[in-house]
Amino acid sequence: MAPITVFQARKIITMDPNRPEATHVAVRDGRILAVGGADCADQWGPVQHDHSLADAVLMPGMVEGHAHMMAGAMWKFAYAGYHDRMDPQGKWWRGKPDIATVVSDLTDYAQGLPEDQPLIGWGLDPIFFTGERLSRAHLDQISATRPIAIMFSNFHLMCVNSAALALAGYDHTTNVEGVVKGPDGAPTGELQEMAAMFPVMRRLGMDFRGLSQTEDAIESYGAVCMRAGVTTVTDLYSQMEDSDLAVLQAVTGRSSYPARLVPVLGVAGADPETAAARAQALARQGTDKLRLGAVKLMTDGSIQGWTARVKWPGYVGGQPNGIWNMAPDEIRRMVATMQAAGVQMHIHVNGDEASEVAIDAIEEAARHSPWAGARHVLQHCQMMGPDQFARCAELGICTNIFANHIWYFGDQHAALTIGEDRAQRMDGLRAALDAGVHAAIHSDAPVTPLGPLFTAWCAVNRQTMSGRVLGAAQCVSVAEALHAVTLGAAYTLKMDGEVGSIEAGKFADFAILGEDPLAVPAQALKDVPVLGTVLGGTVHLA
Amino acid sequence: MSALPRLPLTVIGGYLGAGKTTLLNRLLSEPHGQKIMVMVNDFGAINIDAALIERADGDTLSLTNGCVCCTMGNDLFMALGDALDRRPRPDHLVIEASGIADPAKIAMAARAEPDMAYGGIAVVVDGENWPKLADDPLIGAQMRGQVQVADVLLVSKTGGALAPNLAVRLAALSRAPLLDLADLPQVAPVLLGGMAPDGVQGGLQGVAADHPAYVGWAHEGAERLERPALEALLAARPAGIYRLKGHVLSPDGALEVHVVGPTIDIKPAQSDSTRVVAIGLASQIDRETIAAWWANAAA
Ligand SMILES: [Zn+2]
Ligand SMILES: [Zn+2]
Repeated sequence: MAPITVFQARKIITMDPNRPEATHVAVRDGRILAVGGADCADQWGPVQHDHSLADAVLMPGMVEGHAHMMAGAMWKFAYAGYHDRMDPQGKWWRGKPDIATVVSDLTDYAQGLPEDQPLIGWGLDPIFFTGERLSRAHLDQISATRPIAIMFSNFHLMCVNSAALALAGYDHTTNVEGVVKGPDGAPTGELQEMAAMFPVMRRLGMDFRGLSQTEDAIESYGAVCMRAGVTTVTDLYSQMEDSDLAVLQAVTGRSSYPARLVPVLGVAGADPETAAARAQALARQGTDKLRLGAVKLMTDGSIQGWTARVKWPGYVGGQPNGIWNMAPDEIRRMVATMQAAGVQMHIHVNGDEASEVAIDAIEEAARHSPWAGARHVLQHCQMMGPDQFARCAELGICTNIFANHIWYFGDQHAALTIGEDRAQRMDGLRAALDAGVHAAIHSDAPVTPLGPLFTAWCAVNRQTMSGRVLGAAQCVSVAEALHAVTLGAAYTLKMDGEVGSIEAGKFADFAILGEDPLAVPAQALKDVPVLGTVLGGTVHLA
Repeated sequence: MSALPRLPLTVIGGYLGAGKTTLLNRLLSEPHGQKIMVMVNDFGAINIDAALIERADGDTLSLTNGCVCCTMGNDLFMALGDALDRRPRPDHLVIEASGIADPAKIAMAARAEPDMAYGGIAVVVDGENWPKLADDPLIGAQMRGQVQVADVLLVSKTGGALAPNLAVRLAALSRAPLLDLADLPQVAPVLLGGMAPDGVQGGLQGVAADHPAYVGWAHEGAERLERPALEALLAARPAGIYRLKGHVLSPDGALEVHVVGPTIDIKPAQSDSTRVVAIGLASQIDRETIAAWWANAAA
């Protein structure tokens, strides 16, 4: 008989309505055997007590239903973002509130680089800078000889120094869309979109395929999760090849690997039948720590890039309606094929026209191939109103809402993209729950940092960077938000029978916290310290 | 400057079902004598005839679209890098864009990248369904956008004649030459230029010279043109030239020129003479007109 370990904690938040709170949890074979007091597992035989977590608060390991694996490996490059951010090793990197700090911090960073290596940065968000625009002149202060490229947080733009411009052959004679030029006719260093960035990326060795699927990338993603209290995490547009499967199985299979990984196969542009067959074949290759078989579809772009497809009255600045990355015809065909094959879909929908097309497609597919347990998931759901949530409830569609947007981009949405009225109701977790929809909330890391307690804080407080509350009517309680980052997200992955709460039979996956998130003021939810996680009964401390 | 000749990139755009894959298969089966690498960013991939690829001594790669949440997963551009790094390098790269894609976003890489040459954007227009697609409230703007960025418009399914109202609508959006695919005896001259790859001795070679439906013109001389003069000369080229390419001497080093439809791309080059080749359809232009234009301006 395998040994029984009984962990003691200051408090255990179980998310199990039958026993919402406890002080002890017993673990055998990586699963929860019993929950309650010190004697909870005594009926099962002799136990060992573990007091190492006695001062901590435990809650179910959190579930991130929408993030990307590169959130870990991005840290090979220098962080240049506006906000303080923690790397996979737990080191905090200072945010850069202005251009001067970007220059001084990256100058320090460059000291640690070999002479012949380019300086590559990421995460810069000039939307937060006032005044001057970042240019090669600033980056030339860091080095005139070492090529430098700083990727913006939206991944559509970068700024490079003169040495990098010279490598790419960009000068006053260059006439290429996306190579921005100043009043003097010379390139400013800003490069817009992949075509213009490509020659620099190629020469600086910025091949982002290496940020996913490699052993290092999988490992650092796991480390990022552990420090955020996440024990189950998606890679929500996996471009894994069949040859990557063995690496995924091997790395996640190690007892030292602290997360259950759910790669969701990207199928935009794929042949529907072939993609469905591949998803079904992958589903059979899963393990307890690697779940496969779902697919991800694209529809529109992003709201802050004005590429989301939005319904009337469109964008406040009069920008043209956004773009489809999969044509509505392709979306319908893909949805019909996946539904018929019994493959669960996650569908990116930012604008309300995109969510409508997706809901219509699922409704049509369901008429031909009824499937009550499909649990297809709309991802982002940023502009959905009560009408669309009601249809999701009717059709059994789940919604995973991009709550972090409220804080990061809420002010911009009200002022610059969709305007005050629709910004107030955006990312409406309240409306989803009131409609009876199964809902989760997410970070879309690395777009915003992985951290479900922060994501929950956004849904509870709906505070923007300027400090205003955006749409108070959509605020939810702390308990509801914690449910969304645990059982709510687990439901969208069809893993609610295995993770998401601390109750007998489930995997022993816990987040180890320094405070009780239900006891601190709602404003302090994001500041609750994450000390590590327990995965399958194994403790991983930050 | 790289010692290898630049890799020309042609992008084929157009909606699903317009006939992009048919066009690619047709290109691959023609005797263009070039080693073509094909990349497909759409689910036409499985329909490309593997035997044709082998015969063309080329290669095909199918790609999925990266997640737009984070464009960094963009396989397509990473694969462009792989194509450039291949030894031997292919003679020509052809990318079939996805049905909804803006082909200019891909083709612009050929103008940006020093090791690539601009081979143009060919958009296949579905002669039957395009007007309906162009008016669609959901995708109409993207359909019209594809036509706006095209260097050459190839109309499929015309049933023998280009409908005048379709021609008018397309002409209002684009200055690109408008060709009925059914009328084209060969597509390689339109898509590739039909001329021998750079670095091969001699001027005009390949199918453009051989096929009576096409007019080819080649010129070799010692004239030098300042860049602004060259740009003005090219801007005043006779209508009916679909493609022009070559090296032109200038006071500050030679220039490599690629003209496809309305687009002109100029990059620095190394050359000891001015050598230019041009191509058009025999029904629209003759060799004398091209020669006279060049002789006048270069005089
Ligand atoms: Zn997305
Ligand atoms: Zn995403």
